[in-house]
Amino acid sequence: MFTNLTKLDLKDKKCMSDAGSPKLCMKALPGEGAERSCAYDGARVVLMPITDVAHLVHGPIACAGNSWDNRGARSSGSQLFRRGLTTDIMENDVIYGGEKKLKESILEIATRHDPKAIFVYATCVSSLIGDDVDKICQEAEKELTIPVIPVNCPGFLGDKNIGNRIAGEVLFDRVIGTGEGSDEKIPLAINLIGEYNIAGDLWGVLPDLENLGITLQTAITGDANFDDLRSAHRASLNVLICSKSLTNLVRKMEIRYGIPFIEGSFYGIHDISETLIKIATALEDPDLLERTLVYVKTKEEETRKTIARYRTLLENRQAILFTGGVKTWSMVSTLAELGINILAGGTQNSTPEDFQRMKALMDPSAQIIEDTSSAGFLKIIAERKPDLIVAGGKTKYLAHKTRTPFLDINHGRKLPYAGYQGMIQFAETLTRTVLSPVWGHLRREFPPKEGEQDD
Amino acid sequence: MTEMTKTRHYQGNPQKNSPALGATLAYLGVNGLLALLHGSQGCSSFIRLQLSRHYKEPIPLNSTALLEDSVIFGGWEHLKKGIEVAADKYKPQIIGVMSSGLTETYGDDMVSALASLRLERPDLKDMPVVLACTADYIGSMQEGYQRTVEALISTLAGHCTKTTVLHGTSTGCTGTGTGTSTSNSIGANANSSSSSNSNSSPSPSPNVNEDPVLSIALIPGCHLTPGDVDELKEIVMEFGFKPITIPDLSISLDGHAELEAAPVVQGGTLLEDFQRLPECTACLSFGLSMEKSGEILQQAYGIPHVNFPSLTGLTVTDEFVLTLAKISGKAVPEKLLRQRSRLLDTLADYHDQLGGLKIAIALEMDLLYSLASCLVEVGAELIVALAASQAGIHKLSLPIPIEVGDLEMLEERAGQSTLIIANSNGRQAAGLLKIPHLRAGLPVFDRAGYPQKRWIGYEGTQQFLFDTLNSVS
Repeated sequence: MFTNLTKLDLKDKKCMSDAGSPKLCMKALPGEGAERSCAYDGARVVLMPITDVAHLVHGPIACAGNSWDNRGARSSGSQLFRRGLTTDIMENDVIYGGEKKLKESILEIATRHDPKAIFVYATCVSSLIGDDVDKICQEAEKELTIPVIPVNCPGFLGDKNIGNRIAGEVLFDRVIGTGEGSDEKIPLAINLIGEYNIAGDLWGVLPDLENLGITLQTAITGDANFDDLRSAHRASLNVLICSKSLTNLVRKMEIRYGIPFIEGSFYGIHDISETLIKIATALEDPDLLERTLVYVKTKEEETRKTIARYRTLLENRQAILFTGGVKTWSMVSTLAELGINILAGGTQNSTPEDFQRMKALMDPSAQIIEDTSSAGFLKIIAERKPDLIVAGGKTKYLAHKTRTPFLDINHGRKLPYAGYQGMIQFAETLTRTVLSPVWGHLRREFPPKEGEQDD
Repeated sequence: MTEMTKTRHYQGNPQKNSPALGATLAYLGVNGLLALLHGSQGCSSFIRLQLSRHYKEPIPLNSTALLEDSVIFGGWEHLKKGIEVAADKYKPQIIGVMSSGLTETYGDDMVSALASLRLERPDLKDMPVVLACTADYIGSMQEGYQRTVEALISTLAGHCTKTTVLHGTSTGCTGTGTGTSTSNSIGANANSSSSSNSNSSPSPSPNVNEDPVLSIALIPGCHLTPGDVDELKEIVMEFGFKPITIPDLSISLDGHAELEAAPVVQGGTLLEDFQRLPECTACLSFGLSMEKSGEILQQAYGIPHVNFPSLTGLTVTDEFVLTLAKISGKAVPEKLLRQRSRLLDTLADYHDQLGGLKIAIALEMDLLYSLASCLVEVGAELIVALAASQAGIHKLSLPIPIEVGDLEMLEERAGQSTLIIANSNGRQAAGLLKIPHLRAGLPVFDRAGYPQKRWIGYEGTQQFLFDTLNSVS
C-alpha cells in the first residue's frame, strides 16, 4: 500500500563521502536530538499549500492537532487548505479500526466544505492498525464527484525528504494530467516546482515573469488550485526551486510529457537573474532571451542601487547559516550580495549536491556544521561568535538566548524574500535585525562590575 | 448544518493538542530534566514548533526517532538506546520519557525496557527516569500533562518506592512510575544537582528542624501560565509559606534571557524539592485535572490536600485565601485585602458592560471552567461552552451544558455571541463571524505576552476582566 521507495529516483543519493561532504539525510539516532521531522510532515509540506482542496489527516490528534495552519503558505483565493481536518483517531478506533470513521468523514467534508478534491493522509497509527486508506478513498470517490486521493505517508517511513518524494509521486500519479481540458502545450508557460508561496514569496516573483511575458501554469504547490495543477502537464518547462526532493516528479514529467526541467533559485540578485536567463534559454525563444538579458540587467542595477545603503551597514559582518534544502546555497549567495561573510554553514535535509554547491560558494575557511542538534548549534555559536544567525524558525528562540541577532528564513516568517523585490525586503529586514539596539542592552552586564559604573 | 455537526465524524479545526504535548509541558517545569519522546521524529518536531510559537522559547525535546524497522520489531531497543544516548551526551539529572500513538499502538513496554537497560548499564542504575503514557488517541493536552505530573510525583517524590500502577491503558501500557527509582537513587543523584544545600544522605532534608518556614506543595494545572504560577507562589508566600511547585513553569518557561541555553530544562522544580515533598504541611492542587496528583501525595504521606478547580474569580479566590489563612493560622494579609477591594470596585464600575457580554468559549476543560465561571459570576451570559476533551465535563457545571467540540463547531454555534474566547486557532471562526476574539489557552501565537499573563487571584481576575472588556470595545 505504500509508495515503493525503491522505485523512486534515488540516483542523486550516491555516496558523496569521497567528495568530503558530511553524511546527509542519514538516519537520526535515538536520543541524539537531531530535531528533524517525519515523512508525514514532508508530504504535508508539499501538498497542503494546494488551496481549494480539503486535507484530511487520518490519524490521532498529534499529527494534525499540533500542526494545522502553522506554515506561512499564502493563498490569493480559497482558504480551505487552512482548515485543520482530521479523523481524530481515538482509542476505540485503534481497537475496532478507523475505516468507517474515515469514510464518513470524507463524505461529510465533501458536503460541508465543497472541496475540489480531498487528500487523505495516512499516519503511523492508521497504518499500524491496518486501515486500508486506498480502498476507502476509492469507495468514497464512487459516491462523490470529486477525486479522493490517498497519501500514504506514515511518519515512520523516514524523514521529511521521503515525505516530499511521496507527495511528488502522488501529484504525478493522481493529479497532473487528469484534467478534462486540452493537453496541448502552452508556449512560454512554466511550472515552479517546490515554491510554496511562504509569506507570499511567489508573488514577489510573478511580476518579473509577467514583465517578461512568461506565464505561470502553476506553482507546485504555492497558491495552487487543483484545476491548474491538473493541467501542469501543459507547461513548456519545469523549474525546480526547492532542492532535490521533487526531482522524481520533474524527471517523470519529462519522460511522460516531454517537459524539460531546470533548477533555479529566486533568492539573491545573482541567482534570480541567472534563473530568469536559464528559463528564457530553456524556453528556446530568442526574443524572450534578448528581453530577459536586458531586463535582468536593469533590475540588477535597480536592486543593487536600492540595497547599497544596507550593504554599507552590513558589510564584513560574520554570519552563521543554518538551514535546509536549496536555501543552503541560495542563501550563501544572498548574504554575499550584502557583503556578509559566512563563518559556518549547516544543512538539514539537503542533498549532497546542494551541499557541494554551498561549499563551492563559501570561503574555504568556513566550517560545516555536522551536528544539527541544539547542542551542536549552541557549541558552534559559542566557538565562532557570529554577528548574526540566519536559520529556520525552530532555532530562533535558542539563538535569542545566545543574544545574537537572528533572521528566520523558513516557513515561520512573515515577509517574502524571493525575487528582486524580496531581496530588498531581505536586506531591509536583516539590517533592522542586525542593527537593532536591543542586542546592546542584552549584552550589557547588570549590575555593572566594580569600576565600570562611570562608563 | 447544526444537525450534521451532531453526528460529525471528523474534527474540523481541532482545538485539541496532543497528550504528548501536555507531557512535554509538564516536563519543562522540572530542572535538569531531559524530555524524550518515544515516537517518530515528526511527533517531537510538531510539539517543539507548537510550544515554541506559543512561549517564544526554545523547547528542548528529544526523540527516539522510530523508523519502519522499529514498527516491525518493536521500539524497545530504540527506547533503551535513546535513554542511553541522551544520558551520555547531555548528562541530565532526570530523564522524562513519554510515549506516543505509534508506540502505544504496538504496545511497547517502557517499564521493562528501562529495567533491561539498567541491567546492561549499571552506571545508569540510579539515573531517575520518569515514564508517562501519553497515547495520542486518548485525551488532549490536559490529560497528557495530568498523567505526567502524576508520574513525576510518584517516581520522584520522597521515598516513594512502592510499585504504583497508576493509569494503565488498554493498549499495552502497564503503568507509570514503576520500578524507576529506588530509595537511594534520588539521594545519589542529589550530588550532581545544582542546589548548594544538597546532601548525599538519602534521608529527606536533614535541616528540616532548622527551618521554621512551613513548606507547602503547589500543583498547578496546565491551564495556568508561567505568569499565573508566579502569582500563585507570591500569594502563598504572603502567608509565610515556602512553596514547592510541581511542575514550576514560572522559572523555566517564563521567558527570561538565561545566560546559557541548554538542551536540558533550566529552571523549574529541583530534584531535591521532590524529595522534600513529604515534609509539606499541605498540598494544594489547581484545576480538577490535578486532583489526583494531590491525592497521591495525600495517600503516600498523609499530607492534607485541597483541590481548587479554578482560581479566576472573586469567590474562588476568597476560598483559596481563607484556606491559606486557616492552614497558616495567620490573618489575611493587608496586601490581598487591598487587591480584593480594588477588584470589587472594578466589578461595580463595569457591572453593566460585564452583564451585557455574550460569551462563546472553547478551551481545554480546566481553563474553560476557570474563565467561564468567572464571567458567569459577574453577570455575563454563556452562549456556548466547548471543551477540548471529555475529562471533567460531567464533574464541573456551568449554567449551560459543557460539550466536547472543535473550532468548526464553535464557528457554527457562536453566531449570537459578542465575544469568542479560544486559542489563536479560533481566528478563522472569529474572522468569518466578525466577532471579537480574546486569545486564551494554547497555542496563542498572534498576541504578545500571553505566557506572562496573570489571570488568577484578585489582581489577576481584575486583569482578566479588563482584557475581556478591552477585547469587545
